[in-house]
Amino acid sequence: MSDTWTNRLSEYLDGELPESERATLEAHLRACADCRATLEQLRRVVARAQALDDTPPTTDLWPAIARHVGVVSLDARRARRRLSFTVPQLAAAAVALTLLSAGSAWLLLRRPAGARPSQSTTTPSPILTNVGTYEANPRYAAAVASLERVLAQGRSRLDTATVRVIEKNLGIIDRAIRDAQSALAADPANSYLNLHLAQEMRRKLELLRQAAALAGART
Amino acid sequence: MLTTLATLAGLALAQQTDTTVPVRAGARLEVNNFGGEIAIKTWSKSAVRVTASHSSRDRITVDASEQVVRVKSEGRRGPSQVVDYEITVPAAMALALSGVYTDITVDGSQGEITAETVQGTVKVSGGVGNVSLKSVQGDVTLEKARGRIDLSSVNETIKASQISGDVSAETVNGDISLVQVESSNAEATTVNGDVLYDGTIKDGGRYRFSTHDGDLRVSVPEKSNVSVSVSTFDGDFNACFPVQLTGKTKHRFSFTIGSGNARLELESFNGDIRLCRPGQLAKDKDRDQHKNHDQDHDQDQEEE
Repeated sequence: MSDTWTNRLSEYLDGELPESERATLEAHLRACADCRATLEQLRRVVARAQALDDTPPTTDLWPAIARHVGVVSLDARRARRRLSFTVPQLAAAAVALTLLSAGSAWLLLRRPAGARPSQSTTTPSPILTNVGTYEANPRYAAAVASLERVLAQGRSRLDTATVRVIEKNLGIIDRAIRDAQSALAADPANSYLNLHLAQEMRRKLELLRQAAALAGART
Repeated sequence: MLTTLATLAGLALAQQTDTTVPVRAGARLEVNNFGGEIAIKTWSKSAVRVTASHSSRDRITVDASEQVVRVKSEGRRGPSQVVDYEITVPAAMALALSGVYTDITVDGSQGEITAETVQGTVKVSGGVGNVSLKSVQGDVTLEKARGRIDLSSVNETIKASQISGDVSAETVNGDISLVQVESSNAEATTVNGDVLYDGTIKDGGRYRFSTHDGDLRVSVPEKSNVSVSVSTFDGDFNACFPVQLTGKTKHRFSFTIGSGNARLELESFNGDIRLCRPGQLAKDKDRDQHKNHDQDHDQDQEEE
């Protein structure tokens, strides 16, 4: 999926390519199916970002967890929403954005905590960040651990059948995550596998949140 | 699902409540029922009738204001046990229905619907505008709805038919079946299950169907204009009609039908992906079921 134009697709999406380069890229796109496919994937990332909903979740548990694990504020997230990244950054953003389910004010950009978010950057990233590493991301891991703790604390309030179902389905998702990670290890730049892994990680977080909300609701 | 509760409460379901309150146009119905059933029917009257079968230890309250009719139950010593509601409402009334050990059914609604339960099924016929149906441990079934449709389960199947509008369906461990769908924006995703989509592919539309462990079957009507991207890690792709693959890589390829101005994304990590014409997918499924039945039958005979 990589050629001389791959890293210019983000600028193209943002309408920031000079007219001459734009025309050249469009000619290249007509001939290069890989670039077209990559462009489609990037458009999906942008579309998902734009479709993100800031509505807070129904449970009150998440804001406390979000604060605890150091997620960014809604305002900061809005400020970062304009996507003007390189392809690797967009792949990373895809993970971050799919982890951003409704109300979870969380953007896993590779930036030290507390660093001022820039409105827009087209500076190429020196590192192609593989989403396979994201499960080891401290904030993702912390969010999962926090939700698991909440669930463990509220477990006795849930029906045992519900607990079994939640554990079974978390197991199914974990297996999917492992499958995707194994596949990515062999093909780290594959955008489908990156997005698939991101989707399953987002799904795990969502199910944990749903379960934690159920446990909290039964107090 | 409700066996235990129903057994415990079976003898206690001795009392009937029957209350009718007038409502204004635009009012919303809210019902929360810890365990039992919520069954909604519609009529042409500007009134809500609540009938409930419940324990004599429980009290049903119907609190009606201009905007909201709230129905709930209270036990003398804490939460109520099992309550079976049958509620008749104006067809256009918005519904917000929730419960824990609760089966929810709605028939004939022409309003917005939110229905959420944990251990129970959700079965709805009708719905206009926002229609959001969720269950953790129960099937979610919808028909004859139109609007912005959001269907969610965790451990069971989702089935929808004769629906139109924006459609989103998600489960973890179950199949998803969307048939007779008219949509320009449809998405269905599961982890462990099959996805079936038999509906329109509209110009400019966006369609995305994905599974991890399961097969995708998607219909593409003749004369559709759609760019199709197919991604699979360990599955096969086939189509009932000729397609010219482009950009083929190990795990991904694409092709264009007609002008290609709709987008269709198909992703199955471990399963097969099949495209057919509308109606053919149902035949495939019937044939598979027949085949499975025959295999089961053969197996039974061998065991005998």
